[in-house]
Amino acid sequence: MPAMSVMTSAFADAAELMARVQGVPLHPFAVIEHPIASADDVGINARAREAVEKAVEVLVSR
Amino acid sequence: MALTSSRIESTDFRDAQELYHSRGWTDGLPIIPPTPELVQACLDWALLPSEHLVGIEPVRERAITAEKLAINSVMAGCLPEHFPLVVTAFTAMLQPEFLLHGATASTGGCAVLLIVNGPIRHQLQMAGTFNALGNTDRASAVVGRAVRLALINLLDLRPGEIDRSTLGHPGKFSYCLVEDEENSPWPSLAEERLGDSDVSAVTAVAAMAPRQIMNEWTTDPQEICDTIAAEIKANQLHYSIWAGNYVIVLPTQLRQHFIDAGWSKSDIQTYVFQQARVIRGDWRGVGKGSVVKDRADREYPAMTSPDDLIVVAAGGPAGGFAQIIPPWLGTKSRATTVPVGACVDCEVP
Repeated sequence: MPAMSVMTSAFADAAELMARVQGVPLHPFAVIEHPIASADDVGINARAREAVEKAVEVLVSR
Repeated sequence: MALTSSRIESTDFRDAQELYHSRGWTDGLPIIPPTPELVQACLDWALLPSEHLVGIEPVRERAITAEKLAINSVMAGCLPEHFPLVVTAFTAMLQPEFLLHGATASTGGCAVLLIVNGPIRHQLQMAGTFNALGNTDRASAVVGRAVRLALINLLDLRPGEIDRSTLGHPGKFSYCLVEDEENSPWPSLAEERLGDSDVSAVTAVAAMAPRQIMNEWTTDPQEICDTIAAEIKANQLHYSIWAGNYVIVLPTQLRQHFIDAGWSKSDIQTYVFQQARVIRGDWRGVGKGSVVKDRADREYPAMTSPDDLIVVAAGGPAGGFAQIIPPWLGTKSRATTVPVGACVDCEVP
């Protein structure tokens, strides 16, 4: 089953670092706006759409 | 077996400091250069071969060997006789239920609190009285620091790299507490958790900063516990509502009131477990009303059971103070206790 990692922007460099130290430096993931917890319903929906769009982009391109 | 770590030449002590700082190998404080002789002395004292596998951090798949821990112990200022505590601490931290990667990488910014019990406290002149959570004694300071340096150098837990702490707290330099077993009639923490009154042991807790309480105006154990429970409830509302391993550090003055009234550690655990709980609706009073939703009456105990509360007898003789040390994040990390000298799953299967 295809899988996709989603990070908020504040964790993008951490994700890149973990991917690098785990031996998969080019591991793709979708980056969405930070933060999640304090976002209102409109903000959450926007981040969800953003995540899906970027995930599709990554999955289709590979 | 001979030491296998790479060797670096340095012209003098000052040059060595700058070298270690420039490579990100310190916590910002000076280190003792880990010469092969000093590293080997630690290994010899603990009767451990250099390649001895203390454990494997599963997320990073990093092997933690005795040699690497000895290097960081020397850097922290450890003498050879301190080294077994560092090995024991890491053995405890590498138990699966401790969740080492999560606890040390999280934005929550906890530190690893070490609680030391047993005869080794005397051998190392460790003190559980004055300034128990401060700069109390040499062994506590360097053992706690060795754990942090090993996390930095063996698991890349540097700020902004794997360590994602938003704030952290001062315990991330060194966070080692010694139980004052001699001035307490209660079973030690190690005895409670391992069932052996003579064992030397280290308990590791993924712990936030201490929160101090004061109640000098009662001798009633229930009232003292009410103050403690109030601080725990405040932490639940202000920080994390989830149940976990809270630590209570009870110094002599307040401890004596419990002893005089015939209270055991178990009595404290049972009473505080009943009192330290909040309802979700309480979040409305602290600015978190948006997440109360339709669960305002749902109750959240601070511990999943009385045994989750870790009661430690420690602190100086005067002052009606105690400290509450909250868990990092609920039950994601569990406190682990390992006897000194024990090998728990320390070989590759």
